[in-house]
Amino acid sequence: MHVIILFALAVQAPALTPRDSAFHALNRLAYGARAGEAETVARFGVMRWIERQLDPEHIDDSRLAARERQFKILDYDRADLAERFRDVQRERQRMQREAAARGDTSRPRGAEGAPMREFRELGGELQQLAVVRATLSERQLREVMVDFWTNHFNVFVGKGADRFLLPSYIEETIRPRALGTFEDLLIATAESPAMLFYLDNAQSVAPGSSPPAQRQFLNPFRRPRFGMNELPEDRRRRQPTGINENYARELLELHTLGVDGGYTQQDIIEVARIFTGWSIERPEQGAGFVFRDWAHDRGTKHVFGMTFHDDGQDEGIRLLKSLAMQHATMHHVSAKLCARFVADEPPDGCVDAAVAAWQRTGGDIRAVLHAIFTSPDFWAPQVVRSKVKTPLEFVVSALRATGVEPDTGARVAQVVARLGEPLYQQPAPTGYAETEEHWVNSGALLARMNAALMIAKASTSIPTMVDHTQLVDAINQQLLGGTMSAHTRSVILEQLNDINDPIQARTMAVGLALGGPDFQRQ
Amino acid sequence: MTISRRVFVKSSALAMVSFGMDPLFLPRALFSPYRPLPSHTVSSHPILVCLFQRGAVDGLNMIVPHGESAYYQERPRIAVPRETVIDLDGHFGLHPSLAPLKALWDNKSLAAIHAIGSPDATRSHFDAQDYMETGTPGVKSTGDGWANRYCQHDREHAETPFRAVAFGPQLPRILAGSAPSLAIDDLQAFGLRVPQEAARDRLTRAFEELYDGAGTGLLASSSREGFDAVQMLKQADPTQYRPANGADYPPGRLGKTLLQIAQLIKSDVGLEIAFADCSGWDTHVNQGSNEGQLAARLRELGSALAAFNQDLGERMRDVVVLTMSEFGRTIRENGNSGTDHGHATAMMVLGGPVNGGRVLGRWPGLGADQRFEGRDVAVTTDFRDLFSEILTRHLGATDLQSVFPGYVSTGRVVGAIRG
Repeated sequence: MHVIILFALAVQAPALTPRDSAFHALNRLAYGARAGEAETVARFGVMRWIERQLDPEHIDDSRLAARERQFKILDYDRADLAERFRDVQRERQRMQREAAARGDTSRPRGAEGAPMREFRELGGELQQLAVVRATLSERQLREVMVDFWTNHFNVFVGKGADRFLLPSYIEETIRPRALGTFEDLLIATAESPAMLFYLDNAQSVAPGSSPPAQRQFLNPFRRPRFGMNELPEDRRRRQPTGINENYARELLELHTLGVDGGYTQQDIIEVARIFTGWSIERPEQGAGFVFRDWAHDRGTKHVFGMTFHDDGQDEGIRLLKSLAMQHATMHHVSAKLCARFVADEPPDGCVDAAVAAWQRTGGDIRAVLHAIFTSPDFWAPQVVRSKVKTPLEFVVSALRATGVEPDTGARVAQVVARLGEPLYQQPAPTGYAETEEHWVNSGALLARMNAALMIAKASTSIPTMVDHTQLVDAINQQLLGGTMSAHTRSVILEQLNDINDPIQARTMAVGLALGGPDFQRQ
Repeated sequence: MTISRRVFVKSSALAMVSFGMDPLFLPRALFSPYRPLPSHTVSSHPILVCLFQRGAVDGLNMIVPHGESAYYQERPRIAVPRETVIDLDGHFGLHPSLAPLKALWDNKSLAAIHAIGSPDATRSHFDAQDYMETGTPGVKSTGDGWANRYCQHDREHAETPFRAVAFGPQLPRILAGSAPSLAIDDLQAFGLRVPQEAARDRLTRAFEELYDGAGTGLLASSSREGFDAVQMLKQADPTQYRPANGADYPPGRLGKTLLQIAQLIKSDVGLEIAFADCSGWDTHVNQGSNEGQLAARLRELGSALAAFNQDLGERMRDVVVLTMSEFGRTIRENGNSGTDHGHATAMMVLGGPVNGGRVLGRWPGLGADQRFEGRDVAVTTDFRDLFSEILTRHLGATDLQSVFPGYVSTGRVVGAIRG
């Protein structure tokens, strides 16, 4: 019965033309089509284009590489940024002392010194770099996947040390693995200083354990360099005293098995014990990953039918490898991928296809994506233009469609932030949501209209035309791939009625087209 | 799926609104703080205003336990001297910068809750703020905020675009979630940012028409709400607003925000929950006592709250203002004449429904054996005890399970809101 209905639907629904298919693929695998790109992809062959996107190393991206060189943030490694962050903290303390001496707490912007200003600018660059890459990269699918994993393995840049740990997290942990294997990505995030700090695993230690420096203090034959009482109060207070379950909980609930993945509170505790000792070097030593043997719980742990006993860091690695191939993990992450690429509530067919590919290839992300893109669900007409764009997708697709170049400052990233998605600034480990109901609300829509008007003013590469019908037709093709509704078309034409200046007419038409309902969908 | 999630009661709500022309209150010539009395003559609905003191306010220097000798022993440089504390009940007193609030204490519309905080022991600003906003201490993955969940479960009130409003550029965690809520950076600039009014109106109408044709679904209903909001605000004309009763808001962000909240309340656009941040409480260095950093922040807070109360006059009958902060600060001052991250803090509640003139909560004392982890004020009131009392007694919430999942009420009444 079920099969018959599906079959009937397939027969009724008109098949997509090659150009429509190309436009759909560009909306989902990329951040929307640039002018003329749907035609190019259709001529090249949509499936062939998809295969190419799945193999980004063979796509030339030299234009983006040239743009990337303008970003200072890419010249600094984690240790450089750690040092700069310490300078900022020192300056902040100095300013606080001076302000207190004056009895004045207002902090005028101009008062900030060079270290603070530079660090703030670097933070802005980090966000803008994400927008520039999404807009300009020829390796579009990889950029989409970087955004996907950045949210799946979310780290909040505003939490303490993550202000300087995040750039290397994006550059070294996420980006090189966006189309690798899930297992590799999972282990890399688990070992990343940014995640270890964000979810507190850096301070998770076996109860009763203490660092060697303090144990020396107990040795009467050896004079300690620092006794506990000589440590600054802050540092004494920060000495962790037991396990911290945060990472273990989010690892199971968000990164792998999913909230209904069938684990218990006891499982969380066992997992947290396995990860005791996974920590971060001191900032002056480079703030890299370190396994602290002394902090590791050497006792026996039982979880998911496995036993771990006194095997140091290998315990965690073995657990992560097992988690990466659990059925619940494959299903949870595949469903999230399908929510991103197919529909907010994805059909079972594409999810099952993704899980099968995962199982077959040991979690090869390219194979999983390939299974989704070749699933009939991906091409079902009811799926086409059914998803509302996230703020990042909206802004980047508008830039791509209009050919407006994002600059190196923080301006465009600030627009994305105003629309509700300040990049890297989601405090919750869930990352930003994918679904329509999280993004569509009255304030956010007004903000999208304002952004559309702003981008429209900069859309100088769209030709001006005296004939309004021709203008709207051209805009329909370039911005909406020919999907403009009759209603939108008539409203825009009506608005153009009394506008004679062709530049004004273009701005008005582009602004309404980008800010209107048609362009919100993909 | 989501089409029915907005109840279209707003059109009728719109019809009832009359902006500015016939305010529900009369301008009061009296400049004394007004203690509103319960009244049944005017239809009204309860409003909650939340102020988040981000950075962890030093509860001990805000609501000073001047009756405790340990307070003076531990804070030789930053304690507020007994002779300058504004005494409240012989044991606690207000920081002198909060003098404008004393009259509200005297007329019993201001209460303080001491030794309140989170059952979670974290001293991370980020985590503790997160827990206070999601309402689930210790659980990081909660996606939405408790104020939004209240709006999700309690749908009896007419929905308007202004039901839940956060003042600031982005929606804070406390209001994140599936129930509609609005982030407003500046009331006067809400809507399309086009300088000339005629052009702005024209574009607004054009977009409105575009979305009218979007059929049903969330895009259509949300845009409808947005344009309603723009329309309502245009008629309320925020640029013309003048505070009533001689209210004098202090300069700065907090005063401006509270003025805009007062304005929104008086516009009768259906505001139920307003939220605003006020920052600058992380006083690690040179915190000061009578004067200094903290004194300056408290002066702004006290005068802004007093002005808000004055401005709203009679309308304070329906309003509760709640101040909150992620945790308190160490009992002992540090080497930099400041205080470090602690545990319990103090919160204030202000408004007509408040059972004021009292410092509420069980005071744990500051003695060495009475402290949390030997150094901080112990938490004797879970912040959810207070928040849920406000939600039930003031806003009329019935299902707290969905607002504070996992929270089991101790059954003890805080007593901040008249029952």
